[in-house]
Amino acid sequence: MSAEPLLRVRDVHRSFRTGPTVVHALRGVSFDVAAGAMVALVGRSGSGKTTLLNVIGGLDRPDAGTVHVNGTDVAALDEDGLSRLRRETVSYVFQSFGLIPVLSAAENVAAPLRLARVAPAERERRVGLLLELVGLADHARQRPAELSGGQQQRVAIARALAASPRLLLADEPTGQLDAETGLSVMALLRGIVESEGVTVLVSTHDAVMMALADRVIRIHDGHLDEQAAGQPYEPVPDAR
Amino acid sequence: MNRWLTRRWPAPHWPSIRGRARADAGPLLLTAAVIAAVALLAGAVPALLRAAADDAVQDAVRRAGNDANVLVHADWERDDGPNGGRIRTAGLADDVEDFRARATYALGADLDAALLPPVAVVSGPILSITEGSVPRTFQFTYLADDRDGPAVTWIAGSAPGSPFPDEPVEAPYDGPPWPVQVGLAETAAAALNLGPGDRLPVKDGQGRDRDVRISGIYRPADSTDSTWRLAPALLGPLPGADGVGITRFAGLLSRESLPDARLAVDQDQLRRTVHFAPEPGALTWDTTAALANQVVALKAASGSSGARDGSLRWESQLDTTLRDARTRGNAASAQAAVLLTGILTVTVLVLLLAAALLVHRRTPALGAARQRGAALPDLAAELTIESTVVSVSAAAVGLALARAVTPGVSWTWAVPVVLAGAVAGPAFGTLAAARASRDRRQPANPAARRWIRVTAQLRRAAVEAAVLIAAVAGFVTLHQRGLLPDAADGDTGELTGDLVLPISALALGGLVGALVLLRLLPLGARFALRQALRSRRPLAVFSAARAATTAGRALPLLVLVSATALASFALILGSTVTRGLADGAWSTVGADARLDLGTDAQAATPALAERVAAAPGVQQVVVAQVTESARVFAESTLFTPRLVVVDAAAFQRLLATTPLPDAPALARLTAPAPTPGDVPALVLSNDSELRTGARLQLPRDDAPAIRLAAVGTAPAVGGAGDVVVVDATALAAAGLPAVANTVWVTGPGAARAVTNSGVAADVVLRADVLRAQRVAPLTAGLLRLAWTAAAVLVTLGLLGLLLAAAAGTSERWHTLVRLRTLGLRPRDARWVAAGELLPPVVVTAGYGPLLGALLARLTLGPLDLRLLTGQPGDPATVLPWWLLGLVGVVLLAVAATVVPVESALRRRDRLSEVLRAGE
Repeated sequence: MSAEPLLRVRDVHRSFRTGPTVVHALRGVSFDVAAGAMVALVGRSGSGKTTLLNVIGGLDRPDAGTVHVNGTDVAALDEDGLSRLRRETVSYVFQSFGLIPVLSAAENVAAPLRLARVAPAERERRVGLLLELVGLADHARQRPAELSGGQQQRVAIARALAASPRLLLADEPTGQLDAETGLSVMALLRGIVESEGVTVLVSTHDAVMMALADRVIRIHDGHLDEQAAGQPYEPVPDAR
Repeated sequence: MNRWLTRRWPAPHWPSIRGRARADAGPLLLTAAVIAAVALLAGAVPALLRAAADDAVQDAVRRAGNDANVLVHADWERDDGPNGGRIRTAGLADDVEDFRARATYALGADLDAALLPPVAVVSGPILSITEGSVPRTFQFTYLADDRDGPAVTWIAGSAPGSPFPDEPVEAPYDGPPWPVQVGLAETAAAALNLGPGDRLPVKDGQGRDRDVRISGIYRPADSTDSTWRLAPALLGPLPGADGVGITRFAGLLSRESLPDARLAVDQDQLRRTVHFAPEPGALTWDTTAALANQVVALKAASGSSGARDGSLRWESQLDTTLRDARTRGNAASAQAAVLLTGILTVTVLVLLLAAALLVHRRTPALGAARQRGAALPDLAAELTIESTVVSVSAAAVGLALARAVTPGVSWTWAVPVVLAGAVAGPAFGTLAAARASRDRRQPANPAARRWIRVTAQLRRAAVEAAVLIAAVAGFVTLHQRGLLPDAADGDTGELTGDLVLPISALALGGLVGALVLLRLLPLGARFALRQALRSRRPLAVFSAARAATTAGRALPLLVLVSATALASFALILGSTVTRGLADGAWSTVGADARLDLGTDAQAATPALAERVAAAPGVQQVVVAQVTESARVFAESTLFTPRLVVVDAAAFQRLLATTPLPDAPALARLTAPAPTPGDVPALVLSNDSELRTGARLQLPRDDAPAIRLAAVGTAPAVGGAGDVVVVDATALAAAGLPAVANTVWVTGPGAARAVTNSGVAADVVLRADVLRAQRVAPLTAGLLRLAWTAAAVLVTLGLLGLLLAAAAGTSERWHTLVRLRTLGLRPRDARWVAAGELLPPVVVTAGYGPLLGALLARLTLGPLDLRLLTGQPGDPATVLPWWLLGLVGVVLLAVAATVVPVESALRRRDRLSEVLRAGE
């Protein structure tokens, strides 16, 4: 008997109406992700990757279907419940980092801990550990503008891990980075899965990232087309 | 050369232009509305001001009365006869007519068109009436105009005639006084108790008898006929005309008796003058300078007063009146220009902000266009076409509306607004398109990142230094040069280039103040952030972080601070002028109400004063003898101050019940003079020639002059430049009892009390004077402009606030959504948004009015507001705190509504959409 998956997605539908046109972003998507796995979500632009991540994280609600994260039905939560979910269980890493420019790297990392009302001493300790983890202990007092793009994304990852989430959703985290920097960020994510036991669901176009993933889920016009981990992958042409 | 040959002209893509315009119709319409509204204001104000200036010139000439007349004198030819006597010239009236015609011809066409038909006045010397207990004087006068003098009705006797035939008659030099017949006004005859056939007992200055006989008693057909104003004593006795307590009487000559009048006095004692009264309706602002110059030229070309010939000698204060009016007009024009410059400056900033918002919306589309291969010159051309069409058509609508509601329109002031509207959008848009297509990432090298920051800081510092230098130069020029046109350069009535800097000083000062806050606000925000980071409140941290992030944005703060400061300045200007008018009315009247009594009523003045004092609502009543242009000698110099003889203690009590400055020196009037026998006096002089310590003499007829000792400074009475105040009891003790002709009354019931006094007197109410001053054309125009400018600037400030909020809303809500992905609750997100938006508004609500007050302190002096308030000095600056506070409250109220409205609008957006839009 297998353990309860951390993430369970069942028959999720999501469509958007643009004037008279209805775009079906997700058409009955179903899959499970076990705790501590790193899953790559790949597909063309507009295939539904980001929509799927948003539905899982409670940033968007499905038209039909259910999403359970750590046993919690995300669609059934109200705004406060969703806030609590995002504060305690799910966190995000975005392509554009999303750091607060006037705060230092350490203060940015501490932001979720402040929201969780973590005591200052514990907050400082945790921030120190996380910056150490992402290799930025020497840059704790620097502001985002003083950091390179790769360093900013590392800070964003540290911030996402600050509240010890069970699930980390990363939406094309290497999209604004050069290949070398992107590789180091991906390696970092892989390492975090190993060391922190966090479950990571990352949308990407990057073949290297797919190679690092335990499992690759391909999404095409709202349908899933799952690949095995480590299987050679033909990059999807991107219109961007 | 090849490069030039191969360069192609920009090729705009018309469907893109139409598509962008449709997509951004709202912001474009908003820009057009701002340009149209400000163009309407900027186009209408100069035309309205010019119309007000025309009215002001006419008003000034009307108020000047006879002082604005153009006078021309000419001596008579000698009338020596062949037999050792003087020849009676029977056709002397024709000679006067010829003189009138000569004077009219000499005027020139322009002046002739601006003046009423001339009136010739022939007057004899001032003779003393030898009977009666009070000093009285007499003068005979002949009036000739196009109607042969003003109409009268002879109620007794007949018009003056002559017992001599038309043939030449020679009067011996040593013969008896030559008889001359005159008519007396009804009231004068009653006062002198004389009738037809009686001889008036008069002597000349040498004590020789003169033979003046009453031919009849007349009643003026129309006592308001302007011709009588040239010789008011012909209407009845005129008190004070020849000195304190002296009443002048006058006799009317006819064509027939005029030749006898010449022989009745010495060879050069009969004077003839032609008076040209200005026609106010024919005067306009444009003609004032030329007319004033022509009057000056006439005066300069006058014959010598010592020459005994018939040459014309011109005399007039019309040039001074016109130049004063022109100076006031120039001052009003400059004051209006200062306010307009402020409005235009803020409008340009608002248009820049609107353009920035528009470009912010368009950046993705512009970037996409570049990626599709659109060239930057093509995009620039497309944006320029769009902005030019919007700006020019909006300005045309505004100017057309201005033309519809005003007598004219000026497009000059609308140019900066149109330029800003036409250029800002294309400039920002082209830059945004260039950046969108430039593949430049954040440099990984820290030194390179630092260099970018330093370059940006140097660029900003250079701009700030340029504005600061311009502002300092503007204020220095304003204080050193002032705002009035330089007479040496010729007063064209137009704002010249050298006035640009001082006129812009206020607006530049507002910008500098905003730049200072722009430097300080980020420091304050960072300080607040540091404090918040020490706290345990996450909302405080995020609010302070957002505030610190946006505190350095230049345009929103420049708009807010400049608009608030300049609106505050306009409110201060309006309040200062309003208070100045009120103070001027107090100064002019001297109390809540004043009664100027005629001769008949003077005897009843004490009883009248008691009656008025007993009326309800009356606080103080003071009677005084006020003599205009009294003759007072200081050493050998003659002064003609306003002489006020009053009960000093009562006068001091009255002043205490008014806002007029207290005069503690009045107490010295009842103390003994430094030199026994002198009467203590208080003196006030514009040019300090009448000063404390001076010894003065008040001459009297048939008695030694009264010596006055100036023991202090007199209060300003009636706005006169030179004033001498003497205690009535002290002057009576010196031998000159006062005959009260003025009653000052204070208290809420003063107006009603004097209006119902039942005595024939001129009633002057402070409220009426104030009302008249408020509706004076230039003053009313400037006040309207000040209030309008304040309203427009506040509106522009609010518009700037909303545009700034709109420009930042996308980024703000994207950040808030990012914070919500960290677990921030929706209601907490609204607090964070408020924490970002409110601090700069709160600071501006306090800082803007203070900056406006500082600018008023630096600027109001050189604005020459006294020229409009009619005060002798600059009006004291009034800070209308409740109005300034209201400006801040309105700003805060609007800012406070932004967050809930924005939140309500954003509630419909899914978090995922916000994040997707922000990527």
